[in-house]
Amino acid sequence: MAHAEAAAKFNENEAKVNWHDKALWFVRQKRDKQAHKVQGWEQLRDYASALKANVLSNLDSYLVQFEENAKKNGVIVHWAANAEEHNKIVHSILQKHNAKKIVKSKSMLTEECHLNPFLEANDIEVIDTDLGERIVQLAQEPPSHIVLPAIHKTKEEVDELFQEHLGTKPSGGNPEYLTREARKHLRSKFLQADAAITGVNFAVADTGGFVVCTNEGNADMGAHLAKVHIACMGMEKLIPQEKHLGIFLRLLARSATGQPITTYSSYFNKPEEGKEMHIIIVDNGRTEQLSREDFRRSLHCIRCGACMNTCPIYRRSGGHSYDATIPGPIGSILSPGKDLTKHSSLPFASTLCGSCSDVCPVKINIHEQLYKWRQIIVKEVPQPFVKKIVMKAAGSVLAKPKTYDFVGKSTRFMLKHTPKSLINSKINTWGHARDLPEVKGDNFEDWYKKRQKNE
Amino acid sequence: MSREAILKAVKANKPEALPLPDIDLSVFDEDINLIERFKENIEFVGGRLLEINGLDTIDAEIKALYPEASKIVSCMKESALGTVPVSKDTNPHTLEDIDLTIIKGNFAVAENGAVWVSDQEIVVRALPFITNDLILVVPKNAVYLHMHQVFDAISERERTFGTFISGPSKTADIEQCLVVGAHGAISLTVVLY
Ligand code: SF4
Repeated sequence: MAHAEAAAKFNENEAKVNWHDKALWFVRQKRDKQAHKVQGWEQLRDYASALKANVLSNLDSYLVQFEENAKKNGVIVHWAANAEEHNKIVHSILQKHNAKKIVKSKSMLTEECHLNPFLEANDIEVIDTDLGERIVQLAQEPPSHIVLPAIHKTKEEVDELFQEHLGTKPSGGNPEYLTREARKHLRSKFLQADAAITGVNFAVADTGGFVVCTNEGNADMGAHLAKVHIACMGMEKLIPQEKHLGIFLRLLARSATGQPITTYSSYFNKPEEGKEMHIIIVDNGRTEQLSREDFRRSLHCIRCGACMNTCPIYRRSGGHSYDATIPGPIGSILSPGKDLTKHSSLPFASTLCGSCSDVCPVKINIHEQLYKWRQIIVKEVPQPFVKKIVMKAAGSVLAKPKTYDFVGKSTRFMLKHTPKSLINSKINTWGHARDLPEVKGDNFEDWYKKRQKNE
Repeated sequence: MSREAILKAVKANKPEALPLPDIDLSVFDEDINLIERFKENIEFVGGRLLEINGLDTIDAEIKALYPEASKIVSCMKESALGTVPVSKDTNPHTLEDIDLTIIKGNFAVAENGAVWVSDQEIVVRALPFITNDLILVVPKNAVYLHMHQVFDAISERERTFGTFISGPSKTADIEQCLVVGAHGAISLTVVLY
């Protein structure tokens, strides 16, 4: 289903969409408040971006350095070219330890690799322990946001899910009560787990260590109680030196949720005595993205979710409408690299307003990359007839200043005089829920000329 | 094994080498009252700050805050409140019903209310997470302005495991309503002395 159709479905429940929109905008505002409090915030973003660019340009040597140091620390390092290999490696580690009960903290990478269904098919219980992820796991849905996985669920829906699966009492969706019950339920899972899987927020080349950030403490509860800890990381998670963690940890939580830092930022270097620690370094399309000059900066992403919270399309269409592991603006530049035909509508799910690029802590030029994908897609993917004609016309108009001027004038004429029946007609999907704006007076050029003449 | 293939592909696909940026930390300087800023932030993240003069009265202060606590782990010699002894060999599963844990931290961060603790101070890695309530005791002169300074201060340590803790565990995954006490400690008090 194309993004616009899926978004239309999400929009059937107007009250919910409005709530979703406002809730995410509120998170965006919290981000602004925190960012403005930091002396040198823009400098931090510049450094982070330059560091990531340096990492990508030396990725092979940093990977080898990281591996070497991790091994020295007694960590077992694995390499996976794709999702299938990743899942098999996880499974073989679990088999070796006869591990049947697994707790997993948030990791978009394991979502990307569809690890849960793979392990479940092999008779292994995997429990997602982040509360939001547990909610969507019980609902048998994918997360709809990378930081707020259950942002699309109302508290009443969570109440019903918990009644059904955890045997809670009806509470009308009392968040305190439901969280307490989840704490009890998941605590028993932590205590019984044979192995813990976590993601990786940052891997440090010069120490071989890695950092995992959570607010709930679920990554630590899992990793420190179980005998085996498996950390799964996309290869772009590397940073050069430990001191650079200062830069990234200052940016991450502020950008994500408007907190000055996550509750826990845990830095793993060596396994505890008698325990095993594994790291799986995963490619799964990343080297290919690295080869695309126009799109490689998307690999700077530290998965903070800020571009989603600020995006006017995301806020009003919901994460599921993107039908991709990573939704929102950044997902819309990552997904087409994986499957251009399946995800061809995503780069069009944007107003190109540029708000995503403005908030991105690692300064990815997201909206420019969206525009670049559009150019590739109209060439390579068959387009619906109406869109094709319109794009052609628009292209030839924008290319010629004289015609642009004429079309501009006539558009303003049309805006004033087009009958409503035409705007809200069936062919023009844009007009389904919209009216054209009221036109006041001059266009910019006329206004500017008049101003120059002091009219 | 995929290692060689991946490294080969990276080598072929990576852009031309770009330098490490020169990082000028002076752009982050601020002339502020560190303890005040730390207090603002610890309260913002749902924690509590207690300022005392010296460690002589610490046990009385803690008792007043947590009168009900009975299963207590103390990881600092200045506090005699501990009722459950722990060592490197303690099975973390046995700590499931600990009421209160007292840990000494050597570094606090004004800009975000976090305290750094590592294997040396926490003894058992699961302890600061599995305990119901947590107290972190930090010297007043160990409050640093920002993360860059703290990473500099801890750069010489033995690296095993360490964590920045900023406030009690929390979640907002049910309709964005903040609930304190997710999987980790339900309350956090930082004692500055
Ligand atoms: S693209 Fe930037 S803003 Fe979006 S999730 Fe990644 S780091 Fe955050």
